[in-house]
Amino acid sequence: MESVFLQAGDWAFIASNGSYLLVGTIVTVLLTVTSLGLGFLAGFPAGAIEVYGSGRLEDIVSTVGVVLRGTPIVVLIFLFHFGLPIPDLGDIQWLDIQLSTFVAATLALGLRSAAYQGQVFRGAIQSIDEGQMEAARSVGMTRLQAIRRVVFPQALRRSVPGFQNEFTIVLKDTSVAFAIGLAELLTRAENLYLQPGRGTAAMEVIITISAIYFVLTFTTNRSLDRLEDVYATPGGNE
Amino acid sequence: MSEIEVRGSTVGEIPGRKRLVVIAVGAVFWTWLLARWAYHNTLLDRLFTALGFPDLVRSELGYRQQEPWLPAAPFEAVAEAILSVQSAFGPLEFLVGWAAWPFELAAFATTTEPALASGAFITVYLTILSMLFGLVIAVPLSVARVYGGPILSGISLVYTELIRGTPLLAQLFFLYFGLPLASFFNGFAFVGEGAIPRASILVAIIGFTINSSAYQSEYIRSALQSVDAGQLTAARAVGLSKLDGIRHVVLPQGLRFAIPGWTNEFVYLIKYSSLASFITVPELFRQARNIGSDTFQFTDIYVIAALFYLALVLTTALAMSKLESAVAIPGLGSSARRD
Amino acid sequence: MSLLRVENVDKSYGDEEVLHDVSFEMDRQDVEVIVGPSGSGKSTMLRCVNRLTEIDDGAIYLDDEEIHGIDENDLRRRVGMVFQDFNLFAHRTARGNVTLGLTEVLGLSKEEAQAKADDYLGRVGLAEQADSYPAELSGGQKQRVGIARALAMDPELILFDEPTSALDPELIGEVLEVMRDLAEGGMTMLCVTHEMGFARSAASTLTFLDEGRIVERGPPEQLFDTPEHDRTRQFLGELTDLH
Repeated sequence: MESVFLQAGDWAFIASNGSYLLVGTIVTVLLTVTSLGLGFLAGFPAGAIEVYGSGRLEDIVSTVGVVLRGTPIVVLIFLFHFGLPIPDLGDIQWLDIQLSTFVAATLALGLRSAAYQGQVFRGAIQSIDEGQMEAARSVGMTRLQAIRRVVFPQALRRSVPGFQNEFTIVLKDTSVAFAIGLAELLTRAENLYLQPGRGTAAMEVIITISAIYFVLTFTTNRSLDRLEDVYATPGGNE
Repeated sequence: MSEIEVRGSTVGEIPGRKRLVVIAVGAVFWTWLLARWAYHNTLLDRLFTALGFPDLVRSELGYRQQEPWLPAAPFEAVAEAILSVQSAFGPLEFLVGWAAWPFELAAFATTTEPALASGAFITVYLTILSMLFGLVIAVPLSVARVYGGPILSGISLVYTELIRGTPLLAQLFFLYFGLPLASFFNGFAFVGEGAIPRASILVAIIGFTINSSAYQSEYIRSALQSVDAGQLTAARAVGLSKLDGIRHVVLPQGLRFAIPGWTNEFVYLIKYSSLASFITVPELFRQARNIGSDTFQFTDIYVIAALFYLALVLTTALAMSKLESAVAIPGLGSSARRD
Repeated sequence: MSLLRVENVDKSYGDEEVLHDVSFEMDRQDVEVIVGPSGSGKSTMLRCVNRLTEIDDGAIYLDDEEIHGIDENDLRRRVGMVFQDFNLFAHRTARGNVTLGLTEVLGLSKEEAQAKADDYLGRVGLAEQADSYPAELSGGQKQRVGIARALAMDPELILFDEPTSALDPELIGEVLEVMRDLAEGGMTMLCVTHEMGFARSAASTLTFLDEGRIVERGPPEQLFDTPEHDRTRQFLGELTDLH
């Protein structure tokens, strides 16, 4: 092998493309946020249905959950990209992305995340002591009131570590949207070193974007840790 | 929270009736898959040729020449029969289209089956090898994290955090395009010959091994930490050294605790092995993608691929829960941990 | 010549002094019982003898050899220990609990170890339970396995760290009975326990430890009937009333 690694010229090349990678980072963060949001909106009721629902509905929810969790994310992304009749929604110019591609990626990442967040929330609900429900009923609340006012608030707090986990997974898996040409961080990295004569910069470019991913996961996790400490119910997580 | 969730559980408990369905479908699936692999296995071909049955096993055929085992025609006929009455349904004709679709899909599956089987072979061995190599790294890594001094546990921590904090796809690209390991491997004459896989597969195995070792070590670490400290004390009180105590007392318990997490990681790796397609490994997903671009039946082929992965994932989860109960010890294991 | 000699032992955890200038001697076949309120340093004293805890100052001699000059695994082979919460190896059967030390530390073959384990399990009355896992045993049975595990190593001395404190009252008797048999059989035993009946009938010497110091030490009758210190009378009186 030639010793062409880690050349100063390659780092300078990356530095000069800093804003190019920054736009990719923004797309990555945006995709993470939209997917997690969709995942929460769909996952929260899914988890509740799996605990309190019955019959057909619960059956469907749990089966769809297994399918979403058992299929590779890249298959889901391709399936949503090619299989769904998403209309052409135009481009977002300054991010250099097609909106329909972004929507396909959001649906795939978001619904799969919903399947996992549903599991997190289901586990949290089931971990709440039976006595909580009995106590709520004994002061005269209806079952629905008890679920809404007593079980859910506690379950949500207990779900925080699981949601945090989900964030890290979704952030990293946005890189798979590379496969359908969405110009997120990894795609832009590849665009850089695939430029003629820039093949030697591949290593430096990948190190750079890996560092960006790492900083994003690390700082967010630490901030969420802190947030969790601040909002924790004393003794409520045991 | 005592239990550390590294990655959410994929399958969980499969309830009774569904379990039977999974077992039945899984048995058919694996019978077919193993038969397919055996039918095109080089070693078996040599064996049976030596025994005087040169045509029993056909390893000389590339998957594009391989014949489907089931004819597509009956499925196509059913689909056509359904579609032939479509116009009679007026505005509801799309419903007829839906009814015909499973048969079209089945017909398509029979024609693509040889290629998918050859891809699944790579998916499976890629996953199994990476899990096993990953385990070999993960055990010392987690022991260092729990019982090592500040330096050893620090190294272990940095390794797992760096690997878990960056995308697997970026790691594969780093090895394949960045380092580039593939051209390094191709420098050896024996790579890609005989039983040695081609360079891209080797790179994928290295990448997956590194990645899964970090996740596996997190599962094993939390399992080790859930082993009661008195166990090691008792081992030391009998006269075992610390290392022997870890080996004979802590690890046998901790590794049992780790089986559910390990199963989960196994399932994750089956799914994420699909990313190897982006560094040219002809595994299951790559085969599906190639078929898609040859036939333009993108939706159909990805649905078939999804069903394929589901079959792999669900049968693995079932097999692992069998393993868990096989090595279970009364009062010890995942159920006892919740006490 | 004494088997165990503890000389001027000090031990602190941070600012908290747990043992202060503790000295005593035991001969072979002695049964020494240490009593004292919780937090008095009894368990710490015990753990210093097999070096699960390291002393800060002073010296401990086993058979005239300072224990810090002995390889620690070797020391622990020679000094057995029975724990309050049993600490049975959860993944091994009763027999497996006994054989682990025999094969790994004493280097016995698997067959020898099993024969020896069955012999000792028989002695504590658990021949039938040899194939049971800890989770399948009652507390009293668990503790008897713990005793068999320690005994099988042929120790010169066994440390008992509150062996009956984690047991339901109706299970205490069977464990004490095994301990009494051992004492009568000539085993050298250093016991921390709250069982005053056992202390009175089985102990050759009774030590009252309070706030890390030996308050009083002598034959059990003397401490029970004619204690020199009020503190001793008060403590033993309370405990005897309780039982």
